[in-house]
Amino acid sequence: MQNEEQLTCKIEDWANCCGGVDDDDFMQKQSSIPLLGDKEPLSTLAAEYQSGSPILLEKIKVLGDKYAAIRRARGDGNCFFRSFMFSYLEHILETQDRAEVDRIKIKVEECRKTLQGLGYVDFTFEDFFALFLEQLDDVLQGNENSISHEELQNRSCDQSVSDYIVMFFRFVTTGEIRKRSQFFEPFILGLTNTTVEQFCKSSVEPMGEESDHMHITALSDALGVPIRVVYLDRSSCDAGGVSVNHHNFVPAPGNLPSASSASSESINPFITVLYRPGHYDILYPK
Amino acid sequence: MIDFARVQKELQECSRDVEASGIKVTPKSDNLGRLTGTIPGPVGTPYEGGTFQIDITLPDGYPFEPPKMQFATKVWHPNISSQSGAICLDILKDQWSPALTLKTALLSVQALLSTPEPGDPQDAVVAQQYLRDYQTFVGTARYWTETFAKTSSLGVEEKVQKLVEMGFPEALTRSALESVGGDENLALEKLCSG
Repeated sequence: MQNEEQLTCKIEDWANCCGGVDDDDFMQKQSSIPLLGDKEPLSTLAAEYQSGSPILLEKIKVLGDKYAAIRRARGDGNCFFRSFMFSYLEHILETQDRAEVDRIKIKVEECRKTLQGLGYVDFTFEDFFALFLEQLDDVLQGNENSISHEELQNRSCDQSVSDYIVMFFRFVTTGEIRKRSQFFEPFILGLTNTTVEQFCKSSVEPMGEESDHMHITALSDALGVPIRVVYLDRSSCDAGGVSVNHHNFVPAPGNLPSASSASSESINPFITVLYRPGHYDILYPK
Repeated sequence: MIDFARVQKELQECSRDVEASGIKVTPKSDNLGRLTGTIPGPVGTPYEGGTFQIDITLPDGYPFEPPKMQFATKVWHPNISSQSGAICLDILKDQWSPALTLKTALLSVQALLSTPEPGDPQDAVVAQQYLRDYQTFVGTARYWTETFAKTSSLGVEEKVQKLVEMGFPEALTRSALESVGGDENLALEKLCSG
């Protein structure tokens, strides 16, 4: 696992149209918080920047129009995957959407075949797959292993469960990128000047390697789950006032949860993460 | 807690294609936390013909933490300490992933023997020699291979020969020697007792 210092050196500010600045004190506070924190009102985010940038405070105010709460993930380089894990399982726990569970299980099996096709040995990934599938079953109520919201949170903070599921997502992501290497190659070349395989080996598969645009695109496509990323940085693009940008990662057609051919705009992802340069947390809409 | 079930699967997988890869992993004790890896020196390098043993210790967090590996056989290479056998290789540090295995890690170590990276040395003396006087480097590396990576196997053959001449069957002699870690006298005791 990487330490915070290495992490801050590696921040790629890919998402920021106006070239933002990363916030150093922010990363240093990370090691004291659990893998996933409690749900907190958005006001705690504002409190964090009380003596900081006025643009950020303005933006947090704007965020407050649409979002009610934040759940922080530890900044250990796995924050995107951990946020995704909790958000997804929490969504299933709250909606009891069995059709979605059936749908994603089919995608998971496809991911397994993808990895086998790429030559990954079963025992390197099967335990991680099994543990994720187990969590899916456990958040559905009505069987003897069903778990409460509190237990979901406990498990998400238990390194032995949490890291296994993060690793599951890393396998899914690497499989998708390598399977569609022609699609991802130009982006990878532009970002790191390495081959697709080398990128996966050095920036996807090791724990603690941060996620960026490519990881999110691949995970969203592979599992067919739309993801919204809301950007909080110091950029102020429009002269007309402060606004907060977001981007919806929408799976390629055919991979969507519902069979509708919805465009990126009409899709309303049930997973929203807040991105601050180098870090992701979970965001809850009002 | 080491994931022993996985280690067990890794050992099986590794032994399945030992003929093709030449890579061996054997446990040192019953608990699978300490193992010995064996890699053949790559053809066309100063390590060709040598058999290199690597001490492997699995940390509690395996496979989330990388296996600790260091050469037990002395080797002359810019990225391997000529004193301690410590290996400078990214996948054994921050580039490790649970997607890798003991076998793939050993294959990477073997690849490192073929492609030294003197710009990122573990052993500064060797790296300097590699950069400034390549021919001497090749000579030294080859000499170390002859001296340290071949004696053990030559030694074994001599011991087998001796014991066979005493009248013990060869197969039995080999397994006796192996079970006592190559000690000729202990092997003889074992053969006599039974």
